[in-house]
Amino acid sequence: MKIIKDKVAKLSFVALLVAMTAAMFYAPTASAHGEKSQAAFMRMRTIHWFDLNWSKEEVPVNETMTISGKFLVFAGWPETVDKPEVSFLNVGIPGPVFIRAGSWIGGQLVPRSVSLELGEVYEFKVLLKARRPGDWHVHSMMNVQGGGPIIGPGKWVTITGSMSEFVNPVTTLTGQTINLENYALDNVYFWHAVWFAIAFAWLLFWIKRPLFVPRHIAVSTGKADSLISAGDKKIGMLFGVGTLVIVAASMGATNEKYPVTTPLQAGLLRGMKTYQMPEATVSVKVDDATYRVPGRAMQMTLTITNNGDSAVRLGEFNTAGVRFLDPAVHEDDTAYPDDLLAEEGLTVSDNSPLAPGETRTVEVTASDAAWEVYRLADLIYDPDSRFAGLLFFWDEKGNRQLVTVDAPLIPTFI
Amino acid sequence: MSASQSAVRSRAEAVQVSRTFDWMILFTLFTAVLGGYHIHYMLTGGDWDFWTDWKDRRLWVTVAPIVSITFPAAVQACLWWRYRLPVGATLSVVALMIGEWINRYMNFWGWTYFPVNICFPSNLLPGAIVLDVILMLGNSMTLTAVVGGLAYGLLFYPGNWPVIAPLHVPVEYNGMMMTLADLQGYHYVRTGTPEYIRMVEKGTLRTFGKDVAPVSAFFSGFVSIIIYFLWHFFGRWFAKTDFIADDAS
Ligand SMILES: [Cu+2]
Repeated sequence: MKIIKDKVAKLSFVALLVAMTAAMFYAPTASAHGEKSQAAFMRMRTIHWFDLNWSKEEVPVNETMTISGKFLVFAGWPETVDKPEVSFLNVGIPGPVFIRAGSWIGGQLVPRSVSLELGEVYEFKVLLKARRPGDWHVHSMMNVQGGGPIIGPGKWVTITGSMSEFVNPVTTLTGQTINLENYALDNVYFWHAVWFAIAFAWLLFWIKRPLFVPRHIAVSTGKADSLISAGDKKIGMLFGVGTLVIVAASMGATNEKYPVTTPLQAGLLRGMKTYQMPEATVSVKVDDATYRVPGRAMQMTLTITNNGDSAVRLGEFNTAGVRFLDPAVHEDDTAYPDDLLAEEGLTVSDNSPLAPGETRTVEVTASDAAWEVYRLADLIYDPDSRFAGLLFFWDEKGNRQLVTVDAPLIPTFI
Repeated sequence: MSASQSAVRSRAEAVQVSRTFDWMILFTLFTAVLGGYHIHYMLTGGDWDFWTDWKDRRLWVTVAPIVSITFPAAVQACLWWRYRLPVGATLSVVALMIGEWINRYMNFWGWTYFPVNICFPSNLLPGAIVLDVILMLGNSMTLTAVVGGLAYGLLFYPGNWPVIAPLHVPVEYNGMMMTLADLQGYHYVRTGTPEYIRMVEKGTLRTFGKDVAPVSAFFSGFVSIIIYFLWHFFGRWFAKTDFIADDAS
């Protein structure tokens, strides 16, 4: 007997463990810090985020901040990733530490998925309302169906205050103002409690009597029918009919209490408004590009032609959200995250103004630890070793133009 | 155990041991069903059960009963045919929902901070109770599968409506109409669940207009009948005692 007891006890323990595993450990994805582990080509050749601005670095609970900027849907979108025909503008934050109070592409609210066109630039804005105190890395992010999440640059933002003070007032079309943070929660608990109580009553009605051994003996000796009495059947009937009555009555009462309800809303938004960048009058040809592994620097030979009517200079190279600047031409005043900004990371062999009509071949070097820190150098191990990025030129009047580059990259190890 | 060396010496002791056994077996059964059923339901029902903005009139109504009638059918097969205990479905669903509540409360809310009013589990209890009652009164697998399975599918939506109706009140948000449930999904950022993977209000039942929930529920009930049969047989096979060599039955 003791052996069997031990066995059952052991089995119970195993079952308990299985139950624990199932019940305890599943949690929805809370972290978005995959930016460094995402393949370099994904970050360089899909969505290029630029002109990003995080409106605040510290926000008290219940107050808002925005992430805004533009993104270019790269024309040389990799073959291996599905085109962004169904995409969702998201934010990379560790769970709902902020709520997304609004998000817009080209001025249109985008609570749904959208269809994006290759080669186009879009303006976006995400309004966030602070909910849970802490230091959070806040990323722009685009989810692409078949392509996964494409994480943009992240910046640390501090939320101060206390989460218990967070409120989320919403006014419904029926005129009530509710707090969505805990709206209808009592109702959820109430109905679950009611049904659990009924279910427990039913279980108790049976479990309180001797169970397995005597009943098994009765069944195996042909006396199964004696186990269910007429009284049991009456109680069973009561539970059955009672269940139907409660379901019908509670449904009727609910319909009376909430006469106006609508189905969930879903669907794809098409024809998003694009952002028109000024026409580029500079053309750039990449003659070659190499990445020097020991120097953590990318070197490209560019042949630049100025077809415009004002002299231009190259001021910035932006790839995967890392910005290499030539401080003589352009300085950042947007408090862009330090780790993604190489303020003096761009050197051009001859960066004197390129006169209208002139063509010049220059050596451009983009060097910064970010190549390693953000694992962009891993590009050289990708199956399709190409790099891509945005070049920004400034003319004499301070107008900016954007030119994209996309070319093979050769690593050098010495 | 052979009869020659019985472990109990009196009838009173036998009764006591038998009762201890009852509780141990019940506990083991409960936790094993909780674990297995919970994993099964998370893998098959998953997001439809996790989030209010997935609880629609078409797919949730269709999917949840079909994938959740499985364990109740199997446990019924074991508890009814061997012990004449009509609690298989209720016991399974109570176990599942306790597991779900622990998970939602501790992980979704406690760990990740999703409000409970967006991630509470669906209510499967009315269907389970009716399933048990039908098996008890009819003492027939076929009857339970056909009438019970259909009832299980049909009771799901009305059984949940009192809980989700308040979240289907419409709201105008920045020039768009949506339900409060949609707004929850939009507000409480899920980086791993982008909007496009949400499968709601999709299907070919468009011709039924507004009355799509009853049609989905009927469809779900019909499929539940088939799944009931299937899992009832699994349950019977699983409850066989051939595995134990010296079993007397
Ligand atoms: Cu991050």
